[in-house]
Amino acid sequence: MIDVVQNTLDGLAIGSAYGLLALGFTLIFGVMRRLNMAFGSSILVGIFAGAWLHGQWAAGMIPIFAATLAGAVLAAAYVERLSFAWIRGDAALASMASSFALWMQLEDGIARAFPQRSYAFPSFDILPLLELGPLLLRPEFIAMFLTAAVLVVALHLMLTRTVFGLQVRTLSESREAARVSGVNVGRVAFLTFCIAAAIGGVAGFLIAATDGQISTKLGLWITMKGLIAMVISGLGSLRGALIGGLVLGLVEAQAQWYLGASGREITVFALLFVALILLPQGLAGRADAAARNEALRRL
Amino acid sequence: MLEIRDIKTSYGKIAALKGVSLDIRDGGLTCLLGPNGAGKTTLIWTIAGILKAQSGSIKMGGDELAGLKAHQIVEKGVVTVPENRLVFPEMTVTDNLIAGAFSRRKEKGGVSEDLEAVLERFPRLRERATQEAGTLSGGEQQMLAVGRALMARPKILLMDEPSTGLAPIIVEEIFEIIGQLRDEGRTIFLVEQNANLALDYADHFYLLEQGQVTFGGDPGEVDHDELIARAYLGARKAS
Repeated sequence: MIDVVQNTLDGLAIGSAYGLLALGFTLIFGVMRRLNMAFGSSILVGIFAGAWLHGQWAAGMIPIFAATLAGAVLAAAYVERLSFAWIRGDAALASMASSFALWMQLEDGIARAFPQRSYAFPSFDILPLLELGPLLLRPEFIAMFLTAAVLVVALHLMLTRTVFGLQVRTLSESREAARVSGVNVGRVAFLTFCIAAAIGGVAGFLIAATDGQISTKLGLWITMKGLIAMVISGLGSLRGALIGGLVLGLVEAQAQWYLGASGREITVFALLFVALILLPQGLAGRADAAARNEALRRL
Repeated sequence: MLEIRDIKTSYGKIAALKGVSLDIRDGGLTCLLGPNGAGKTTLIWTIAGILKAQSGSIKMGGDELAGLKAHQIVEKGVVTVPENRLVFPEMTVTDNLIAGAFSRRKEKGGVSEDLEAVLERFPRLRERATQEAGTLSGGEQQMLAVGRALMARPKILLMDEPSTGLAPIIVEEIFEIIGQLRDEGRTIFLVEQNANLALDYADHFYLLEQGQVTFGGDPGEVDHDELIARAYLGARKAS
């Protein structure tokens, strides 16, 4: 029983990081109606920028965090220009293929610049390990969970209370109507892309700091986790993305404990399969069905 | 007020507008008639900056509008009420209206006063202010689209087929609203297939056929039946 509770706590913590990744994917998908395959590799660029700063000058946590964010946002801006802004909005497949190419390009570039198998990333050692009776709470897990909660609330407030947020929503509902309402569509899409990358950068930083070391494989890993969480959630809703991430984290943690590492991977794909069959509209329900149908129609 | 000269727009290799010239006069209703596929909606999207013209000019006062982006054209005060309404279906009526005021960066104040004025003008929208726009009837969505455009404080309203898909009695209601707006001295450019009704309200009209303006005048000067036949059927079949 204690194991189940401990797994649940660990799963929720890592799941909140997955939720942030799915949130980034969903934000871009919602506004662009196109999938950004290079999302994970943009985050990879950020993480390696942080690791480089760490290795070069043994910088503190805050500069490394800033470098991670800056790297992720710059790489995302590059992807947005090449694969989205300069490709027509109704050519969803072209954007997807083009962003896939940039994924390969960015990942290969990082692999050449950082040829070692793995690099050190600073971990949180400021905070003590918390013991609650028989339960152990790792400080980085608490940080993950709290950061995700704060970011989700901040994003929600931004989308519902600010003029910029209203513009983002108009864009995700109808590009043409947004344009006739005077929304600078290009600018709003670009900024949304950058915000999504910043959120992904935060998630990447937390994941890297929890592991204490990084490799170039992380890009693929981030893409997989974020995409699976997004598909479980049903594409297109921010709340759904977060729930998808938490469910993925929970299932992974339990499967890891009871079935081992290989059993975990199989369970995750089984979860994806079951979700697609039983909940084709996703966890978040009706309102997202339209967005999903729209997405399928365009693909 | 708006001088359109020799505008050419095409979709790939297919020319939709083959050199359109017309004037939208200050403080009146200029109507563009024409059969399906004549290029009426293409002209609206071109003026609005959503489609790019290959050549030609669109001048307002001394300003050239051709080549500007859609949001810059809205900032100049040329605001579109698109065909099929195009409201934001999952946003509330109020949020839809506020979205109309995005372009007013220079004069931020007065948004809530304008919102109040639009709700005053359309009491049905006030009743549904917190409802999602997708739940409104077609006529209400058309009012919402007009209200959203008014929120931008337009100098010129471009209205694309406001009668599309609406029951005849609702169409009458929408045209009464258009008539009111005209009587307030607003400049309106109306694209309409319902030539009969449009001619009742127009101060001036043009006929667009196969991407070219073939005829223009004041409604009083011409034989309505002949004109309506051409507007619906195109020139060759009517003659």
